[in-house]
Amino acid sequence: MNNPQPAQNSLKSGRWIRSTCKMCLHSCGTLIHVTDGGIINKIEGDPDNPSNNGKLCPKGNAAIMRHYDPNRFKQPMKRTNPKKGPGEDPMWEPISWDEALDITAREIKKSLDEDPRKILPSLEDFQKFNIWVWPLAFGNFNCFQSGGTMCGGAYHPANGYIHSAFAAANDAKHCNYWINNGTGDGFSSHLHAAAQSNWVANARINRGMRCVTVEPRLSTSAAKSEEWVPIRPATDRHFALGLCHVMVNENLVDYRFLRKDTNAPYLVGADGYFVRNAEDKIYVWDSVENQAKPWDDPTIQKLALEGAFEVEGKECKPAFQRFKDTLDECSPEEMEKITTVPAETTRRIAREFFEAADIGATIEIDGRTMPLRPAAYNYYRGAQGRKLGFQTNHAFKLVNFLVGNIDAPGGHIGVTLDDQWVDKSHVAPGENGMMMPNPHQLGPIPGFSYPPNTFHLMDYFPVGVHPPHLNLMVFQDPKKYGIEFTPDVMVICHSNPLWAMQGPREEWFRFMGSMRFIVVSDIIPTETTMWADVILPSHDALESWNMTMIEPPHTEGMCMRQPATEPLHDTKSEEDIFYGLSERLGILEAYNGVLNMAQGLDHKPDLMLEPDKTYTDKEMADRKGRLWNDQGIDWYLDNCAVTERRPDKWYRPWEGMRLHFYIEDMLHQRDLLKKNMEEHDVPFRDDWYWDDYSPLPTTRLDPVHEEPEEYNLYGMFFKDIQLNFGESIGNPWINDIVYRDPVHIALMLNPKTAAAEGLESGDIVKVESPYGKIYGRIGTAEGWHPDALGVSNSLSRIKVRHDGVPHAGGHFNDMLPYDLRNTDAVTGQPETVCRVKITKLDDWPEGLKQGLTVYDLVDDIQKPGKGRSH
Amino acid sequence: MARYGMVFDLRRCIGCNACVVGCKQENSLPDGMFFTRTLSEEYGVYPAVNRVYIPTLCNHCEDAPCEKVCPSSATYTRDDGIVMVDAEKCIGCGTCAVACPYDQRSQVDKDLLEHGLFGTDELTPFEEDGYKRFVPGTITKCDFCSERVDAGLDPACVVTCPTEARIFGDLDDPDSQASMLIRERDGKPPMPELKTKPKVYYVD
Repeated sequence: MNNPQPAQNSLKSGRWIRSTCKMCLHSCGTLIHVTDGGIINKIEGDPDNPSNNGKLCPKGNAAIMRHYDPNRFKQPMKRTNPKKGPGEDPMWEPISWDEALDITAREIKKSLDEDPRKILPSLEDFQKFNIWVWPLAFGNFNCFQSGGTMCGGAYHPANGYIHSAFAAANDAKHCNYWINNGTGDGFSSHLHAAAQSNWVANARINRGMRCVTVEPRLSTSAAKSEEWVPIRPATDRHFALGLCHVMVNENLVDYRFLRKDTNAPYLVGADGYFVRNAEDKIYVWDSVENQAKPWDDPTIQKLALEGAFEVEGKECKPAFQRFKDTLDECSPEEMEKITTVPAETTRRIAREFFEAADIGATIEIDGRTMPLRPAAYNYYRGAQGRKLGFQTNHAFKLVNFLVGNIDAPGGHIGVTLDDQWVDKSHVAPGENGMMMPNPHQLGPIPGFSYPPNTFHLMDYFPVGVHPPHLNLMVFQDPKKYGIEFTPDVMVICHSNPLWAMQGPREEWFRFMGSMRFIVVSDIIPTETTMWADVILPSHDALESWNMTMIEPPHTEGMCMRQPATEPLHDTKSEEDIFYGLSERLGILEAYNGVLNMAQGLDHKPDLMLEPDKTYTDKEMADRKGRLWNDQGIDWYLDNCAVTERRPDKWYRPWEGMRLHFYIEDMLHQRDLLKKNMEEHDVPFRDDWYWDDYSPLPTTRLDPVHEEPEEYNLYGMFFKDIQLNFGESIGNPWINDIVYRDPVHIALMLNPKTAAAEGLESGDIVKVESPYGKIYGRIGTAEGWHPDALGVSNSLSRIKVRHDGVPHAGGHFNDMLPYDLRNTDAVTGQPETVCRVKITKLDDWPEGLKQGLTVYDLVDDIQKPGKGRSH
Repeated sequence: MARYGMVFDLRRCIGCNACVVGCKQENSLPDGMFFTRTLSEEYGVYPAVNRVYIPTLCNHCEDAPCEKVCPSSATYTRDDGIVMVDAEKCIGCGTCAVACPYDQRSQVDKDLLEHGLFGTDELTPFEEDGYKRFVPGTITKCDFCSERVDAGLDPACVVTCPTEARIFGDLDDPDSQASMLIRERDGKPPMPELKTKPKVYYVD
């Protein structure tokens, strides 16, 4: 080449800046190249960061296109077209920051002064919890963000019970047999996708780790696994219970672990509660002396796990026996009728799993000898997004319990969200020798109240994250739920509820239309920003400071973000925006108080925010950095604070405490809620699904299996790494790879199913569930369970005022329910699979014809000659 | 002198396309242009079905058909085996693109450079800076990030690959990771029957 200057971007004259990625919520380490002319022209993974080891996923590689997106909001704006609706041009008028913040504060204040519950926040930047907690400054617990239910409404509380942690991962460092159920962990999604893919690929290839993927589709994980086990959608709990049946009945169990490290030997009475003595000590059964003793009696010789006993006149059984009784109806043959997984497959996998777990093996790490259990069962959204979400999570955890791998090297390990400071412990002792359960991983919840204090009824989900889909149910009939206030102001920041919420868009449009004022802080136009009255544009992640730790599976430590350039446009940091509003609303002192508590700053009093001051993004980042390791922001500019998780915190941090094999707290929570509802005469208490609360999983079918038979297929939604979390469609580089991938360009059916339905690849169809409908184009592939209709996230957008975001013909989430019947009464987790029927159409319906849908974009991209590359 | 080549570990590749986007970043590729791609192919019948992800790029053939047919000697092979296109000499006739059996050459269409990645007929600063490397009308392709290689770095697609499925190295050095993989796992070049002698190998 004759170029006088190096032509490749990473070699041009300029400087490299250490920062972190925000193309999903997980903050991989990055190096950003800025040319002498100030242009960001290359982003690479930071090789010093042991999480992602210099690697980046395709989205991380595409961050530059977000930064330079011409559709970005360039200054504050107000709406001049009072008419709102899909396709309505807001007719934005640029205004000054002062005017924008003044208008916004004035409109918020009108409602705030009347009733703080009239504010509906949707604050969803997972890298900035300091914004997330803003509504607590005025005692508001409303929630219109999808994080939680569309992520892990039941998953996070379940991890809080089992590991006292936010998430969980299999230990790629030592695992040799990895079951992946309804998750892309290690292959395409979930925790730190690029990082985890690297760890898992090395385990697979260098160590020969065997992978088994249980999923209705041939996902990336399934394609890379030694074995794909296709399963009927929404039946994963039954598969796990089938495994447990085999393991328990064939004695494929780490009994020592259950006796020593769990409450499995604790005696449970007929009412489901543990049997306690007068001093509130829980009884166990000593099978040598054949008598009941308090759990900590030093004379106990051998704890019984099985049998039926009588203690203080009460019939009781060890918790393990209770589980074994449950499993009587879970033979692989019985479960096959539900899951379609052949009984022999279930038996074989149960045996392989046990064999690989190598019960009895130990490993010494840092001078500490621990059980080594190199087999683990991992799962996530696809498997746990059920009406009976909590029971479903619990069933998967119990497979792991049986081989004693909870938090063990090679096993299934709790992953903390944000450790805040280096030596902070995430576990604490609870009652009767057990670890303290910690289901509220995202901070305080509102507590019981009737009439409700929250529009989405969070008052009645004592174990939940948030059920934001219920906003719509309550909106349609607020009187039924005793609501005494009507939200009329939305405050939205980096959240796109109109994309993410389940339930028909048309109904959500009505909900949006009922708002008196909507303010949105974001970077680019989305489905939701179209409804805004005021836009408060924020810096993007290449223009701002931040400090965060977000559930890294194998590493810990604060990840620093710094600006690579001055802001391109007249934008502000989220900190400046929310401090600006707080000052105008007179809630500055309260907000700083909330931040001191929620950010953990009160742990080091010299870092605490002063009541009457505002702080920049850099100052907040500096404080979080100092809280972590006493180092200020300047240290982070030159150093990577991320290290591998320290074995003492990562492995069995609860040593000496007992884990919750049996979750008695379910009954406490149920009965307390019941009592509260009775005392307050809550009119809908009889609609509450009390059976969802169970200390052990049951075989009860989720209601999705009981829909009318005409809905003969199961609609399911999926993502891959290119679409992991948000920040995807509309980015030209992401569009360019996604819409060439056969998996992401059609509504997918197994060819035999398509034939039975009289359908062929390319047919235009209407898909209906009992709750909503979408239109689309059929594709067929062998890698689909015959009962499934698969819809990629790439086909989920509705037309927004962003040129790169095409209309999909409806959103899969339109077909999902938003009622109590399909909501886990324990956690608020909604059902995320729906039953569907398909109707072939001769042509697209009006409004979707002639170059108006994503399918036209797909056809265009795939045209030979495009890019002259064919 | 080294003889550079690349090995794709099909067991590692998860088809994520990080390499593809990393390449677009590094080389400022206009919309729809690829120096590397990741294809996916399903095979078998349910439930005995699987999918393979197949990364592709210029194979830097030792007996390169593109080089042979080039009427202006724009295509040439460096001493280290990297097949290059000299844009100053290229007359844009496209003969090489037809001759390449692997479909790895692209024409730099003037429209692409003007239309922009967002299709607005305006270029982002990233494009304005990056498109300077292209001469409209000429042919371009993967050059193993030759400038990075000259600077002692691996190609951009290699460093970003989350699963380390792309291994770049000196095929003449028996101890290079690439050579060892080819030897130990029986590496195969794409379409060997064409006798183009690719310096790209696949192991599975």
